[in-house]
Amino acid sequence: MRFALRGIFILGCILSLLFSTAYAQAPAKAAFDFKSMGDMSDFDPANPIIPTGDTIKIAVVASFSGPAALVGQIYFASVQWAAHDINKRGGIMVDGKKKLIEVIKADHMSKPDQTKKIVERMVLQEKVHVLWGTDGSNLQKIINETANKYKVISINTASLSDELQDATNFSRYAFQSSMSSDQLSRGLAYYYGKIKKKEKKFYILCQDYLFGHGLADSFKKGLMEYYPDAQIVGEDYHKLFLTDFAPYLEKIKASGAEVIFTGDWIPDAANLLKQARQMGITLPFANIFLDEPNMLHQVGVEGTKGLVHISQFGSENPAFKTPEQIKYYRTWNDLWKNKWKTEPFNGRLFEHPAGNIGSYIEQTYWLLNVIARAQSTDPEKIIKVWEGDSYRYTNGKVISMRACDHKAVQDLHIEEYAPPDQQKQSFNIPPYYWFAGTSNTGPIFAIPAKSVLPLMDQNLDRCKGKSAAGD
Amino acid sequence: MDPITAMYVAQGIHGLAYGMVLFLIASGLNVIFGMMGVLNLAHASFFMLSAYLGFQFVSLTGNFWMALLLAPVATAVCGVLMERFLLRKVHAFGHMGELILTLGVAQIVLAGVKSLWGSESLPLKMPPILEGQVAWAGLNYPIYRLFIIGLALVVMAIMGMLLYKTRLGKIVRAAVSDAGMVNALGINIPLVFTLVFGIGIWMAGIAGVAIAPILTVFPGLADQVGMDAFIVVVTGGFGSLAGAFIISIIFGLLSSYGVQFVSQLAPVLIVGFMAIVLAIRPHGLFGAREG
Repeated sequence: MRFALRGIFILGCILSLLFSTAYAQAPAKAAFDFKSMGDMSDFDPANPIIPTGDTIKIAVVASFSGPAALVGQIYFASVQWAAHDINKRGGIMVDGKKKLIEVIKADHMSKPDQTKKIVERMVLQEKVHVLWGTDGSNLQKIINETANKYKVISINTASLSDELQDATNFSRYAFQSSMSSDQLSRGLAYYYGKIKKKEKKFYILCQDYLFGHGLADSFKKGLMEYYPDAQIVGEDYHKLFLTDFAPYLEKIKASGAEVIFTGDWIPDAANLLKQARQMGITLPFANIFLDEPNMLHQVGVEGTKGLVHISQFGSENPAFKTPEQIKYYRTWNDLWKNKWKTEPFNGRLFEHPAGNIGSYIEQTYWLLNVIARAQSTDPEKIIKVWEGDSYRYTNGKVISMRACDHKAVQDLHIEEYAPPDQQKQSFNIPPYYWFAGTSNTGPIFAIPAKSVLPLMDQNLDRCKGKSAAGD
Repeated sequence: MDPITAMYVAQGIHGLAYGMVLFLIASGLNVIFGMMGVLNLAHASFFMLSAYLGFQFVSLTGNFWMALLLAPVATAVCGVLMERFLLRKVHAFGHMGELILTLGVAQIVLAGVKSLWGSESLPLKMPPILEGQVAWAGLNYPIYRLFIIGLALVVMAIMGMLLYKTRLGKIVRAAVSDAGMVNALGINIPLVFTLVFGIGIWMAGIAGVAIAPILTVFPGLADQVGMDAFIVVVTGGFGSLAGAFIISIIFGLLSSYGVQFVSQLAPVLIVGFMAIVLAIRPHGLFGAREG
């Protein structure tokens, strides 16, 4: 018996050693604390438990009505999850007192004038400490301007424009923890030029507005930098909310392209992919928004195989590296399976705390961790901690905040979509696939942070003379 | 056929297919306006409602054909109820009331589909027999898009028969010309109005189910095609079916060949065309001058 116990002990030591060497983690100033995680069994985004009174207030500024209402629900569920967890841990000690987190929905209805109104109301009436945003760089700009005016912290988790933090728009109170459009485009170029080294002919098809053109320009710039042999065989920009993609796809078919690069988001992304497959075009799409599971299921396993998606949440395979991380994942997934009965939270979009949802949760945890270490809701103290800070996500990924322009520096990850039976390399716990009805993350490739550093505007006084890494 | 010629031919068929779908939506809108003088702002919403109902029928029965048959009829019934119990009451008080009412109905349909089906995009699968492509002389073309063209032609034929070969058609055409006179002749005009309204919505409903397998069924669907349909009606001339047909086809062809040859200007071509037509003929290409 004693031998058996000793054997188990030694085996345990060896396994721990293996885990620690195989998944050696990059250093970070702070990390997600699995051990003190609260009991989340009563978490339901449709019936949130939101404390009131003397709390730390976060306004989630998003679309909660109109066609993009679902986006607001995704944001809210993510922020409320992190807030609920921290509340279950007893809250955060700020200014000498333990305070709980109060999440408030602020509906910007996707309209600039409404954004201005609601954000001012949040600051002046609700006295929020943090403005959390949002879908649409034009709206995020308004949030940041308001944050600057009233000296309130603003966190940008979802808007991708590089200009939000340039010399013209920079605010000390605004932090961009999201990746930017320039990074993701260059990341995809890096993947094709430095990792894949196979396809050479690219066709760019993006939406015809600032964001689509910006993505395309950065992709071309990235190809020149990382893949000089690459060839752009065609370039088109279509109007937003296009109904019929067939004319564009017909041109792509005739162009000899090997990859279609697109920055389209839903519904355009869904219609583009679906119509391409219906027309017999099986080319891979290098993309950022072709990851919505309902859309992928509509196209099916075959049609989604080989999609190349860049993610700001990913980490190297396998996705689950430690028992604590598995437990964390199961907590969310079990609640989704058994407790959440209300639309849209019971849909497959909310099945995994990964992808965009995972990213929004982690960015919120980081924010709350920063507030905890600042031990204050005083924006000046928060800024002091956040500038140059680094934080480790639940999946081991480390993100840091470049001090001079408040842009996040992080590895990005390319996910190649594979059929369910090949998803085990990523989803390494039962049932060994992300989704049974669609191709999804299989092989993953890291794009090192130093190769996709966010743009730095040298006209910004704070950044003058700094290296791209912010040193 | 060499690949380049095949591409040009395919672009033509793409234009035709989209034009036909537009015609199905726009013609209903047009007939309703032409006969009743009602600019139905909820028209595209019924198109969307039919796509959702089509999704529901396919989910329940697994049968696309059943959905194609029943969803437009169910949508038309909703339209008829709206006409009978809401629109008819405000009709006597002029256009402003109708506009506000139909706008309100559009909002109700939007809220209704969101509460019933949620905001996520829903799949409506095409029947397996229409999947894949047909190969002909070096041209590969999706069968489903050819089916849409065929379906629109069948609906057009039914409409043509109804309008030009039946007594009801005579009454409708007469009512488009002068509803007051037809009423004075003892024809039950309110009943004819209801019928025409139902047929108009039915046509939009067919377009809704037909296009759903190509598009995403989601709450923004009405906005996506609503504006295109209005452009067709305005450019073709209010009340003119021939105008709606020709403009729909021109619209479709301008879209596809515009993308092919002057991609950046493709959306401008359509509104530019509309502007030129309206500058020369303010009442639309085939519209009758009022008064």
